[in-house]
Amino acid sequence: MEGSSLAPSLKNIAPQQEYLLQGSILDAHRDTLLHRLRGLCDNAESSFEMFNDYEAVYTLRNSSTTQQNDPFLFRVRRALDHPDAADHIRYLGNAEIGLGDRRPTLVRACLDVACSKNVREFLTEMGFRMDHDYVARGVFFHKGRMKVMVYKIYKLIQPGITDAKNLEQLGNSHVVELSVVAPLGQEQIGEDMKNFADQLKPLVLLEKLDHKNL
Amino acid sequence: MGVSCVYSYPVPEGRSGAQVVEVLQKQVETLGGIKAGNFIVDCETYQSVMLNPPKTLHILHNSEHPASCFAILDSGATLVADTLFNGLVLYLKNFYQARKGAKIESKGQRFQLSDFVLKIGSVSLAGSMKGVLVEVEYCPSVVAADCWNLMKELLQSLIGNVAENPPPSLKPKMDETYTPAMTMLQYLDHFNSFRTAAAMGQPLR
Repeated sequence: MEGSSLAPSLKNIAPQQEYLLQGSILDAHRDTLLHRLRGLCDNAESSFEMFNDYEAVYTLRNSSTTQQNDPFLFRVRRALDHPDAADHIRYLGNAEIGLGDRRPTLVRACLDVACSKNVREFLTEMGFRMDHDYVARGVFFHKGRMKVMVYKIYKLIQPGITDAKNLEQLGNSHVVELSVVAPLGQEQIGEDMKNFADQLKPLVLLEKLDHKNL
Repeated sequence: MGVSCVYSYPVPEGRSGAQVVEVLQKQVETLGGIKAGNFIVDCETYQSVMLNPPKTLHILHNSEHPASCFAILDSGATLVADTLFNGLVLYLKNFYQARKGAKIESKGQRFQLSDFVLKIGSVSLAGSMKGVLVEVEYCPSVVAADCWNLMKELLQSLIGNVAENPPPSLKPKMDETYTPAMTMLQYLDHFNSFRTAAAMGQPLR
């Protein structure tokens, strides 16, 4: 095996960025949107691809009180409908400000890492604390390298328990997200996404949202 | 993938580590071992910053599992992740910082001997050689208790009484299904003793 020559190349990580547009749609109009998306996206003939994920957000804080740093976040996801699939840790950076902020989408650092099932205990032992958790259930589409997700967020009445009885739906609408994860410096994607988002108007208005301003 | 045992082979006084490695390699070839590429196991250690209580995080890689990264805490808790986990550790730099001069690795020749894989590794800490680690893997089994006697026989013909007992970190898990993380724990134990020995300015016996 050529392991020793392979390992170093795999260790060098190309920084990835997520380009993101977000919006929402009322539950009553979800199906209209799904049909529109089915026509626009790849694999129009196959049935919808569903997902049902449990996500818990873990934070890490310095114990020093003098430094009021922003807490550091890791998002840990588990597919409830595929119990054998690996868990994922996702790191998301803050929205980047650049190019005079004329970019059509939100751009932020993004790193998604598959890991073993004991990740929750491991993070807790590293000093992380669980901040909040939720279940996201919905449908996703592909259009080239663009990913469109239409999903509903469920609040967990008791944290950590993903039993159907413990879920409470949040609001009367679905989240709609259009995203691409790509290596650094591919600004063209933003334009492509903008054009795609325009095709969904007026059903849903996908916008560049800076979560800091919420 | 099978069961692995890792032992530190003492370097006798008056001989260099390179000489010992050469002798061991010759011995493996006399036994019928065939060269089958190289291997490397490396370990980087991170220290928590302003976390109470302080914690140590070890990040290990093994060329036998080139797409994985093993994160091990002091308690022995092990997370197996994609190599991309390295990137996550970089983002953690305000909380976990790399200990300077603590990068340690074991690398060398890998041999195949029918059902066994043998690895003779030279251990280097911050660029200087600290000792020799011998790993023997018995591929057909995944329960250490089932194949320990077989492995012991081969190990003893190679490194003698050093392999009298199963490795300490493996001992409580002899009846469990063996996982690659258990190999990494054994390497980490050895790496930690090499570091301690280096800090004391003593060669490891």
